[in-house]
Order: sequence, then structure tokens, then C-alpha cells
Amino acid sequence: MASSVNLTVKLGSLIFKNPVLTASGTFGYASEYKNYMDLNALGGFVVKGLSVNPKKGNKPPRIVETPCGMLNAIGLQNVGVDKFIKEKLPLLEDVDAHIIANIYGTKAEEFIKLAERLEGVGRVSALEVNVSCPNVSKGGALFGKNPNEVVKLASSVKKHTSKPVIVKLTPNVDDIAVIAKAACDGGADAVSLINTITGMVIDTKTKKPFLANKTGGLSGPAVYPVGVRMVYEVYEKIKVPIIGVGGIYNSDVALQYLMAGAALIEIGTANFTKPDVTIEIIKGIKEFLKVENIKSVGDIVGIAHSV
Amino acid sequence: MKLEVCENKRIAKNTFSLKIDNPALFDASPGQFFMVKINDFDYPLLRRPFSIADFSDRYIEIIYKVVGEGTKILAGKQKGDFLDLLGPLGNGFGDIKKGKKIFLVGGGIGAAPLIYLSNTLKSMYGISYEAYFGFNTKDEIYVDFGKTATMDGSSGYAGNVVDMIESQLDENCLVLACGPTLMLKRLAYVCYQKKCSMKVSLESRMACGIGVCLGCVVETTDKDFKRVCVEGPVFDYREIEWQAL
Ligand SMILES: Cc1cc2nc3c(=O)[nH]c(=O)nc-3n(C[C@H](O)[C@H](O)[C@H](O)COP(=O)(O)OP(=O)(O)OC[C@H]3O[C@@H](n4cnc5c(N)ncnc54)[C@H](O)[C@@H]3O)c2cc1C
Ligand SMILES: Cc1cc2nc3c(=O)[nH]c(=O)nc-3n(C[C@H](O)[C@H](O)[C@H](O)COP(=O)(O)O)c2cc1C
Ligand code: FES
Repeated sequence: MASSVNLTVKLGSLIFKNPVLTASGTFGYASEYKNYMDLNALGGFVVKGLSVNPKKGNKPPRIVETPCGMLNAIGLQNVGVDKFIKEKLPLLEDVDAHIIANIYGTKAEEFIKLAERLEGVGRVSALEVNVSCPNVSKGGALFGKNPNEVVKLASSVKKHTSKPVIVKLTPNVDDIAVIAKAACDGGADAVSLINTITGMVIDTKTKKPFLANKTGGLSGPAVYPVGVRMVYEVYEKIKVPIIGVGGIYNSDVALQYLMAGAALIEIGTANFTKPDVTIEIIKGIKEFLKVENIKSVGDIVGIAHSV
Repeated sequence: MKLEVCENKRIAKNTFSLKIDNPALFDASPGQFFMVKINDFDYPLLRRPFSIADFSDRYIEIIYKVVGEGTKILAGKQKGDFLDLLGPLGNGFGDIKKGKKIFLVGGGIGAAPLIYLSNTLKSMYGISYEAYFGFNTKDEIYVDFGKTATMDGSSGYAGNVVDMIESQLDENCLVLACGPTLMLKRLAYVCYQKKCSMKVSLESRMACGIGVCLGCVVETTDKDFKRVCVEGPVFDYREIEWQAL
């Protein structure tokens, strides 16, 4: 048995103490979890999606539970980038983990503004660009569905920041590997996948869609095989690190993502069920590597492809 | 935190009282709630929110109605089982000032948090109050104080609890209420008309219970959204955009 295992992961110039991050929209602005766990134990966290101006979000009901999952249509409610910098970031001053800002907009210019606004903010280690949002100049079609738009968006954000740029992909596309390649062509330093899968629940009592927004994004354990499959497919097509997201609720699923090709992982919905689930997952990964006598977590990344 | 079940028994039609060992590690105020994990494994996935029906040195009591999958499983829990609770969470009824005439008004399972509230008003503040509870039928009644109304007239006042108390309300009253949304909506309308004060505990679908998912919001009169789990579940009724509910 190896006496110690190396959990560190490099992404561009950044070093993460372990591969476990939290997913945007499921961890607030992180300080909310201080009562439940030691934030320093994490590799990092991705904060709630930020827009240029504060956003109110959708009307309720916004969530509904499904078998081993949930649909959400929050509508990207957030305090806006300025308030985030002024009021939320200072709460994390003493935390030793990477803070990744998830950004979104409805026009390329908004993404650029966000990148510029965050550029001087040292505490933010990287940007995660959420392309699962409607592009108003293209009639509201999602940026993330069109490879040309993804190239353009990635390269324009890249031009306006010195921080690593992660492009977060939507699974609601024909071929996610094509979109992942587009992100790389645009200069992305990493891609994260998957965002939620679009779904609908109908309330048979009212005979109407349950969510006010009608459709919502499916997340939670139910979606993990989709995420693992997509990470596996993307791994074969691109060179940059992949961040695996979707349904991770224990260390076994976390390991599946790593073996499919993810260098890092993000935990989302599972934080709701168990606020300290990330700690358990880090422990579980470490334990697995020890038992298997594997020295470094990097050694299992993509290992499922070699068999 | 995992706590031991001390008792879980049926107290009325589809209604159970769950007593959980109180580790005496924290205080809890009336109107606050716990997020309860139903099973050790991840089905059902999300925790269920339940108000505190009583809180003593020995027990945390939850009174719940079996309405779906989660509460059905909960009804099968036995003495000696362990349940994972997160909480106490949210803002409760807060400080109740003397001076106003106090009415506790509960509908159905919404009477549960008012039991702990009534015990607190009595023991801590020495404040007197009147309590009114509405149920559909006699066999649903699980409270042993106050006056009751039943929709089918099988016990007490025949009809709606809001109709039962309407004539007694005026600007010198403070109503503390919890119940089905429709009942609360009517009660809010009556309170507006009579210029009486009201604090009301609301329900909403919750995923996290700690303010991070933004799933549980209600629309407020200042055209904003507030989280039921953090800013609530108890609100001043004037804050709420009742038309939107
Ligand atoms: C702050 C608060 C306090 C509550 N206190 C009590 C209480 O003291 N006693 C009691 O019996 N009930 C209470 N409820 C309602 C209780 O949470 C639901 O009845 C319960 O979640 C139903 O779970 P289920 O699995 O049986 O139902 P299902 O319908 O199978 O549940 C499916 C999903 O919908 C959610 N859900 C269903 N009904 C409600 C509801 N009315 N409110 C919120 N979420 C719901 C569930 O949590 C679950 O995620 C409270 C709700 C809130 C928000
Ligand atoms: C309530 C909720 C809010 C979310 N908000 C965002 C967001 O603001 N930006 C984003 O890129 N993804 C958001 N997501 C998607 C998650 O980050 C994640 O990609 C997805 O939920 C799949 O992971 P999971 O199954 O572990 O939750 C949100 C998910 C949930 C459940
Ligand atoms: S339940 Fe998640 S914010 Fe209220």
C-alpha cells in the first residue's frame, strides 16, 4: 500500500489540492456552507452564475423532485457581478481553495464585460463560461448549441482575461464533442460538462406543466450515466482538461468520471442532500487510490479508455 | 446530524407524531423547521421540510401528514431508528410583543408549528392568546386546545376557520397563522380589510433548505423574490404578493 497519495491536479497555471469542486448554482456563494463543512478541504468551488446586472430569476414554482433527481428553472437569479465582488467575496477571504466565477450573458458583449470586471479580482482563480443560455442576437437559441458561436464566445472571453477560461457545455446537443472542440478552438483552457438536461414534469391535478417556466434542467444521481458517457466521448476528441459534472453523489461515481477522462469534478445537487458530501467524496477517492496502490489521482484520469 | 427516533405514532387520520431524541446542542424557536432525510440512501433524493411541533429538553417533535412517498416512508420509522436532520432552519415567529390580542390560526397540518408557538407564548412570555384550528373532518383533529372548525361540521364550528374568526379581528389583533395556501390567502384578505397584523408561515418546494439553490422563493410586494427557507418561512403578510400565490 502506498503511504500517501497525491490528489493534486494542475489546470494551466492553477494547482488544485484535490480534484473536487462544487458546481455552480448548488453552493451559493460558498460562505453559506461554512457552518456545515471545512471549505478549505475542497479543491475549489464554482459560485452561482453571475451576470452584469442583478437578475431576479423565474417565477415559482422553480423546482420539482423526480426519481433520484430534480428539475430546476431558477432563471439564473443572482446578485450581479459588482455586488458579488463587494459583498460576497470578502466573506471568503480566509478560505484556502480556488474560487471560480461562473459567468453568463445573453450577448457576447456581456460575457466580455464580466471577464473585464473580474480581471482585477485576484481572489477569482478562473472563469467558467456558461454557454447554456439564450443568445438574444441569434433569436434566443442557446450559445452552446452552435459550434461557431462557442468558438467566438470562448475566444472573445479569452481575449479579455488572463485567468484560465473553462467553457461549461450543455448536454442538450447532438454531438457534445463537436462543441467541446469548438471551445478548444476558441482557446478554452478546460471544458466542464454537463450542465442540466432539459425536462418537463406535468402536474396531472392542474393538467399543466409543474414549473412556472414549463421546462427545467434535470440534475442529480439520475443523470450521471449521461455525464460519464459525454466525458468519455469528449476525452477522445480534445487535449485540454475536462471537468466532469452531473449526478455525482458518492466517490464511486466521482471515480467513474475520472476514469472516463475528467481531471477534476464538480458536485452539484448532492450538496443539497448532504451538505458535507464533498468531504466524503474526497475521502473515498483517497481511500480507493490507497487500496489500489495508485500514487496519484492523475494516473486514473481517462484510464477507462485503455481497456 | 443523526438523531434517534423515540416514538412515531398515529395521532389522527393520516397524521403522525414523530418524537426525536433532542441532543440539547441547540435552541429552536417556534416557526423554525428541520430538513429531514427520509432514508440513509438517496431515494427519495431531497430532504423534506417539517416544522417543529414541539421542542423540549428530551424531544424534538414533528407532526406530519402522509401525503406522498416521503411521508409514507417516514410513517414506517420505528423507535431506535436514526434520522438525519438538518436544522433548525429559517426565521420563526420571532419576538411577540405584548399589547395586541393574539390569535393563533391553523389549518390542517399547518396547526403543527402553532403547538410549539402556543407552548412558548405561555411558558416564556406569559402571553395569553386564543387559538382556532380548521380541519376537514373530526377524525383529522390532532390538537387538544383552542376552538376547532370542521368543513363537514362533524366537530365544532361548521365551515372554514377564517369565517369562524373573521368577525373578531380588528386593528388591535395580531394573527399568527399557518395552513394551506388558499386558507392563508383568504386570511390575508380579511386581515388587510380589518387592518390587523399577521405573521404567516409559508410552504414552498425546497431542495437545500439553507439558501443556496434559490428554489423556494416567494414573490414579495416590492417585486422581488425572497427565500422561504432563509428569509422565511414566517413572513409579515404585508411582504407577500398574495396574488402570485
Ligand atoms: C417550512 C415548511 C414546513 C413544513 N412543515 C410541515 C409539518 O410540520 N408537517 C407536515 O406534515 N408537513 C409540513 N410541510 C410540508 C411537507 O414538507 C410536505 O408535506 C412533504 O415534503 C411531502 O413529502 P412527500 O414525499 O410525502 O410528498 P411528495 O408529494 O411525494 O413529495 C415530492 C416532493 O415535493 C415536495 N413537497 C410536496 N408537498 C410539499 C409541501 N406541501 N410543501 C413543501 N414541499 C412539498 C417534497 O418535499 C418532495 O420534494 C412543511 C413544508 C415547509 C416548506
Ligand atoms: C438549483 C440549480 C441551479 C443551478 N445553477 C447553475 C448556474 O447558475 N450556472 C451553471 O452553469 N449551472 C447551474 N446549474 C447546473 C449545475 O452546476 C450542474 O451542472 C448540474 O446540476 C449537474 O450536476 P449535478 O447533477 O451534480 O447537480 C444549476 C443546477 C441546479 C440544480
Ligand atoms: S430551499 Fe434552497 S434556497 Fe430555499
